[in-house]
Amino acid sequence: MKVFLQLSWFFKQEKKAYITGIVLLLMVAFLQLVPPKIIGIVVDEIDQGTLAAGKLLLWIGLLVGAGLSMYVLRYYWRIMIFGSAVKLARQLRKQLFDHFTNMSQSFYQRKRTGDLMAHATNDLQAIQQTAGSGVLTLVDSLATGGFVIIAMAATISWKLTLIALIPMPLMAILTSWYGNLLHRRFHKAQEAFSALNDKTQESISGIKVLKTFGQEKEDIEDFRRQSDDVVKKNISVAKIDSLFDPTISIVVGISFFLSIVFGARYVLNDEITIGELISFTTYLGLLIWPMLAFGWLFNIVERGRASYDRVSRLLAEKTEVLEQKDALDLIPSGKIGFQIATFIYPGEKEPVLQDVRFSLKQGETLGIVGKTGAGKTTLLKLLIREFDLKNGKVTFGGRAITEYKIKKLREAIGYVPQDHFLFSATIRENIAFTNPLIDEEKIFKAAKIANIHDDILEFTDGYDTIVGERGVSLSGGQKQRISIARALLLQPEVLILDDSLSAVDAKTEEEILHALKHEREGKTTIITAHRLSAIQHANLIVVLDEGKILERGTHEELMEMDGWYKEMYVRQQLEELVEQGGSLYGK
Amino acid sequence: MENNSSSEQRRVLLRLLAYTKPHVKTIVLAFMLLLIATVGDILGPILVSIFIDDYLRPRNIVFEPLLILGASYMGIQIINVLVSYFQLLKFQEIALKIIQAMRVDVFAKVQSLGLRYFDKTPAGSIVSRVTNDTEAIKEMFVTVLVTFIQSGFLMGGILIAMFVLNVKLALFCLLILPVLYFIIRTYRRLSSKFYHDMRERLSQLNAKLSESIQGMGVIQVFRQEKRLRKEFEEINEKHFFAGMKNIRVDGLLLRPAIDLVYIGALILILSFFGITSFNSPVEIGVLYAFINYLDRFFEPVNNLMARLSLYQQAIVAASRVFTLLDEEELAPQQALTGGKMTNGQIEFKDVSFSYDGKRDVLKNISFVARPGETVALVGHTGSGKSSIINLMMRFYEFERGEILIDGKSIRSYPQDELRAKIGLVLQDPFLFYGTIKENIRLHNGEITEEEIVEAAEFVQAHHFIEKLDNGLEHQVVERGSTLSSGQRQLIAFARTIAANPKVLVLDEATANIDTETEEAIQVALARMREGRTTIAIAHRLSTIQDANLILVLHHGEIVERGTHQELLAKKGLYHKMYLLQNGVTEKLEDVVG
Repeated sequence: MKVFLQLSWFFKQEKKAYITGIVLLLMVAFLQLVPPKIIGIVVDEIDQGTLAAGKLLLWIGLLVGAGLSMYVLRYYWRIMIFGSAVKLARQLRKQLFDHFTNMSQSFYQRKRTGDLMAHATNDLQAIQQTAGSGVLTLVDSLATGGFVIIAMAATISWKLTLIALIPMPLMAILTSWYGNLLHRRFHKAQEAFSALNDKTQESISGIKVLKTFGQEKEDIEDFRRQSDDVVKKNISVAKIDSLFDPTISIVVGISFFLSIVFGARYVLNDEITIGELISFTTYLGLLIWPMLAFGWLFNIVERGRASYDRVSRLLAEKTEVLEQKDALDLIPSGKIGFQIATFIYPGEKEPVLQDVRFSLKQGETLGIVGKTGAGKTTLLKLLIREFDLKNGKVTFGGRAITEYKIKKLREAIGYVPQDHFLFSATIRENIAFTNPLIDEEKIFKAAKIANIHDDILEFTDGYDTIVGERGVSLSGGQKQRISIARALLLQPEVLILDDSLSAVDAKTEEEILHALKHEREGKTTIITAHRLSAIQHANLIVVLDEGKILERGTHEELMEMDGWYKEMYVRQQLEELVEQGGSLYGK
Repeated sequence: MENNSSSEQRRVLLRLLAYTKPHVKTIVLAFMLLLIATVGDILGPILVSIFIDDYLRPRNIVFEPLLILGASYMGIQIINVLVSYFQLLKFQEIALKIIQAMRVDVFAKVQSLGLRYFDKTPAGSIVSRVTNDTEAIKEMFVTVLVTFIQSGFLMGGILIAMFVLNVKLALFCLLILPVLYFIIRTYRRLSSKFYHDMRERLSQLNAKLSESIQGMGVIQVFRQEKRLRKEFEEINEKHFFAGMKNIRVDGLLLRPAIDLVYIGALILILSFFGITSFNSPVEIGVLYAFINYLDRFFEPVNNLMARLSLYQQAIVAASRVFTLLDEEELAPQQALTGGKMTNGQIEFKDVSFSYDGKRDVLKNISFVARPGETVALVGHTGSGKSSIINLMMRFYEFERGEILIDGKSIRSYPQDELRAKIGLVLQDPFLFYGTIKENIRLHNGEITEEEIVEAAEFVQAHHFIEKLDNGLEHQVVERGSTLSSGQRQLIAFARTIAANPKVLVLDEATANIDTETEEAIQVALARMREGRTTIAIAHRLSTIQDANLILVLHHGEIVERGTHQELLAKKGLYHKMYLLQNGVTEKLEDVVG
């Protein structure tokens, strides 16, 4: 029942609806006593022959009145109580989504999509049940049960009532024990369900790989194994779940037995009449439903609690990337400086960046090169604050980037990520992602600079072509260029291209770089690349190796250094020279 | 329309029931247990009444028979507890197993669908079918069916008892049935619509969630959190209103309505007896019994109505699941049995293809890759290179032209043969949640530990793998987002090499790898290509200069073909592309030279 306490903030928030609902519920409970009473009166009058047409009409009229008002009251308490429960689900779902938008990337590295989704759907459903059916059952069973017990004690025998209630503590102990067991098992079952969600999600996203390797059958087998696990965990829930009803009925059975045995003695001692004993057992029979309801309540509530725990735990997760309280509400501009002592990803041991220090004047172009895994992307992620630096700082316009509001910092930056993620929407919407209402002209302009305009016009629906989830029907190069257009639309102070030209051919790369040079006159651009031709024109080129700066300088300076850069450059050139030689001498 | 939808509902129900087939025995057992428990429930009160009538009322307290009576009462209770426990458990088990079977069916179906289906359906909504919708069906087998059958029996029994008591009055009471039928039908018509609406909203919620979570990096960096929150809130709001509509329909037509009908029936009986009593005396006993039976009649009715909304949810969820099961956008079909791929000769014969049926992305493509040869595809992005590979991999079905492998139609090879012999390296290396080792092996148990290590070394991936925590056992997070794209690419390479295919298909695979690593891979690939037919897409012409045949694609057509030298000599498009790629080098010729 702890979950009711945990949810008390919501009951307070919706107290009007809940109080109205409960009052209506009690009114219905009271009105329910009317029909039996009228039946009794009419039967007696028929029996005594005193029933007249007028009287019959009156009683029937009363029945109609009671029936109709019950109908209306029943309808409205449902709206009040169940309606509030749906409201709770909506509210929590919104909270979760808002929370998701605030979490940093390390959160998304730890959590899996399917699991996060299960929180927002399945768990919320269980919580909604608690706030709706749970509250209803609690009120209803307490009201009915209390009423019946009072009637038994007041009208027949308080001693016999006490005796009949002896087995009840046993029931309370057992059901709360089951409740605890259920809680734990239900938790596991929910986790298994989440895992199955993840599995499904991933198989669908990776469907091409699975098909390529002809592993559909094996993957289905894997799915079967995981869903077997769901079944297993749920059966262990069912094993406890199924205990409630039999336990309650045996407890009621014992109670029945006790009241008959002791009741019979009271009858023999002439303390009560046989008639009273019979009504006593009838009352006892009336107690079965509220008790079963109580068992059912436990079930709902424990599921609700398990789910609420999961959701609260998720909501309690703090983002590592925090905004300072007095953060500047100012778009940064100017010089960018990196002073990184070390950077280690959360949960990892090896540093990814070490002793990386350099700076970049406004309007300059920075090229970052290095082997796979050298830390190029990490450097960029620190600048856009996907991760925060503990040991060192990144400055922008003379201040640490942590001094700005995150929103303002990012407003200064147009980022083209390595994983070009496109949304399931039209190309127009994807490019105009930052401003859906922007002029078409500006969209076209960005697309032209990114060298994708002509491609788009060739699609059947042009800019209104819907790109499937993760842009399935586009080639990698096209996706990259749409991502570039999306970032360009911002006309950002700093443009970051994270290996964003890797899937476009040399001609296109050349054209994009040329257009960028012209378009971004006076603005800062950061490019990481494998192909050195993409960064050759940069004002500063930084060569990273295993997280450290190996070389730095302009292209010319680096070429004189006789180091990694030169070697790589010559190698890349050599390959091409060989081809050229081939063409000249016919090999 | 209305008729249509109710017959549709019946069809869905029958199909759902078909899933109980493998469990008939257990179901029969469970129903027997249920029967025993019901009998036990009835026996208890009878024993109590025997005690009261035969012993207590005559004050005839003899020890032995009372002991037997008491013992049998408690005995029945205990048996009853055991029986009902197993009965409850059995029904849950059956339900869980049925849902499990259904889930596997849906999942298997999803796996058999063509990529066209995935192009048009967001992953979130497919996940929702596989897990959430099937979950909503569960209650159907846990309680709904049991209640329906139990209630049906009880209602029948009570009606018979009424007829025995008083035929005329019983006929009156039969009037209740059409009223109930009308309520149930109206309810089902309205609620099926509303539940559909709600599940649809849920599916949209899921799709939005799934996409937002996956694209959160982009959303945040472009500061669109607020807008996305608003968009999500709108869907959430619609879902809320759909939920409220359901509550309203439930409130108007379920329990409250049935209680109203009950009061109506009560009025009917009271008026009948009341009016009769004006002229002639009535039997109070019969009146009492009728009212009693009426109460009892409405108990199963209420039980039934309480489950009706669950029933409706289950039917709606099931019809959505079945729609997916009936989806016809299947993956291109392969022959079930057929030849082995021996040489690996590949021929495209006049193949044309369109994704949308409107615009051809491939036009009359013909070429031959002889066993062991390499055919390279070059062209600007969007020229149709990837589409050739999509057809070659049988991701999409084509209608015009033919693809032949060893002279036989690609369709005549069984799926397994095709997948085992053709290895593709995708341009988007997709990694699964699991260890690096699992990502290289995938589900193929035949690949040994050594082969994994060899494959990793072969593509030079072992350098970086060794540096990770636990090496090959390093845990890859979802989509491998802690690894760089080059590292992911290397793992994908190792994956292909471990599978040891006969035909190699490279789709822009080298684009994301730095020159240093790529050189190592080029060496590895050269070794790999020995004895294997290779079809490669490359942006850098340097990587394919030794290809036996280079096809230059432009707007879906092959505009030039030949070897590197031949194409250069032609001074056509290839020559231009080549010069463009090497234009920047001219300044540096002296440096290199």
